[in-house]
Amino acid sequence: MEAAPDITILRLLAAFGLLIVPLTLSFFLRLGFVRQLFISAGRMTGQLFLMGILLVYLFRWDNPWLNVAWVVVMMFFACFSAMVNSKLSFRHFFLPVFLAYFVGTGLILLFFNKVIVNYENIFTARLVVVVGGMLLGNSLNSTIIGISHYYEAIRKENKRYLYLLSLGADQQEALLPFFREALRAAMRPFIANMATMGIVSLPGMMTGQMLGGADPETAIKYQIAIVLAIFTALTISVALSIYFTSRQAFDEYGILKGSLFRR
Amino acid sequence: MIRLDNVTLSFADRQLFNGLSLEVPAGGRLLISGESGSGKTTLLRMLLGFLPPDKGQVIVDGERLQVDNVWRLRRKMAYVSQEMQIGNGRVESFFKEVFRFKNNRGIAYQRDQVIALLDDFQLGSSTMEKDLEDLSGGELQRVAIIMTLLLDRQIYLLDEVTSALDRPLKEMIVNYFTNLEDKTLIISSHDRVWHDQGFPTIHIGKNGSST
Repeated sequence: MEAAPDITILRLLAAFGLLIVPLTLSFFLRLGFVRQLFISAGRMTGQLFLMGILLVYLFRWDNPWLNVAWVVVMMFFACFSAMVNSKLSFRHFFLPVFLAYFVGTGLILLFFNKVIVNYENIFTARLVVVVGGMLLGNSLNSTIIGISHYYEAIRKENKRYLYLLSLGADQQEALLPFFREALRAAMRPFIANMATMGIVSLPGMMTGQMLGGADPETAIKYQIAIVLAIFTALTISVALSIYFTSRQAFDEYGILKGSLFRR
Repeated sequence: MIRLDNVTLSFADRQLFNGLSLEVPAGGRLLISGESGSGKTTLLRMLLGFLPPDKGQVIVDGERLQVDNVWRLRRKMAYVSQEMQIGNGRVESFFKEVFRFKNNRGIAYQRDQVIALLDDFQLGSSTMEKDLEDLSGGELQRVAIIMTLLLDRQIYLLDEVTSALDRPLKEMIVNYFTNLEDKTLIISSHDRVWHDQGFPTIHIGKNGSST
């Protein structure tokens, strides 16, 4: 199959032309999105172009250390973004969440590259940077859901937590129901999404590979493997980020610290 | 036995207690009265070691409540508050889960006993199969009370437990606890029914005063 033809700048501008529809709607219905839409679309374009330039060099040099370093930088951004989108304090949460991403995504990335794909060089850019990016990008949302759900539930259902403690639960036992519910909330959307894949949605990686000229059969196999890898990576990342943060979120009397939340 | 020695506590920038002292002997009763917002709930939570006093000490059975014994001393107490939150799932699963806590493994879960208590509290054995989320506030309150009775703790801290119930139920619960003669009861309530029992009463005022 032949690779996708390049898109000229002029034709890319046509893609921006599509924005007229949401912009018009936003303007006339006063959705209050006009400014935000410009900023978001602008950022997306800028970031992707920068990423494109970076990828050119990462692929050209293809230095294992550099590739891994870049994934770590992405983890840093993922972590930062997870924090911004939750109401939790950076000081308490940044490091543990980062560590959770590092372990969760790192392990699955290694597994994917070594066991599933088994390239000669498992630290090659097209695997580490591209697959790593997919794993991270997709665990991000779930981590935000999971960690916010957990701490907000403990705060909102404080009576339930204290009641369990008073019933003789140790801290882990009293937190277990909250942990369970947070994991459910974080995993549920992806599980639902998996069930409709291929019918309702054609996933991004597959679309990309096929446009890039890959054989549909290979593209599908990659897609199946990446979906399973993403799901496992997000499960580990969510569970670990709750586990790691939980260790320092409570005082020695077992009470949730008020300083965990940003105002 | 519960004792407060000269306890001072501020919470959310307000002084709630200023040099508060009191003592409830084993098997004794104490009724705490005061307007809402005067710190009755905070007082009970302090007894459970959920928040330490700024000054003074809390003594449970002769031991000063502090970090290294708080988890053990809590197990002498049972605590039920108003508008309980228990979670979700079947009522019986909840009972069983509490019996699975490491600290409760010494106590056997006896279904007959649970059903007898459900009966006593006018809930009926079918409640076992219900979902916690489908229970009314008053039903949830009674399930929470039954759970603490099953654990057979020595000291009961009851925070407005009858406020959501109708009069016959209020009386039933007050009678039930009043008949537990060897238990220590510390009750915060606005309900007449408790006040009619002639228990020693402490009044907590708005500005940290107490009488």
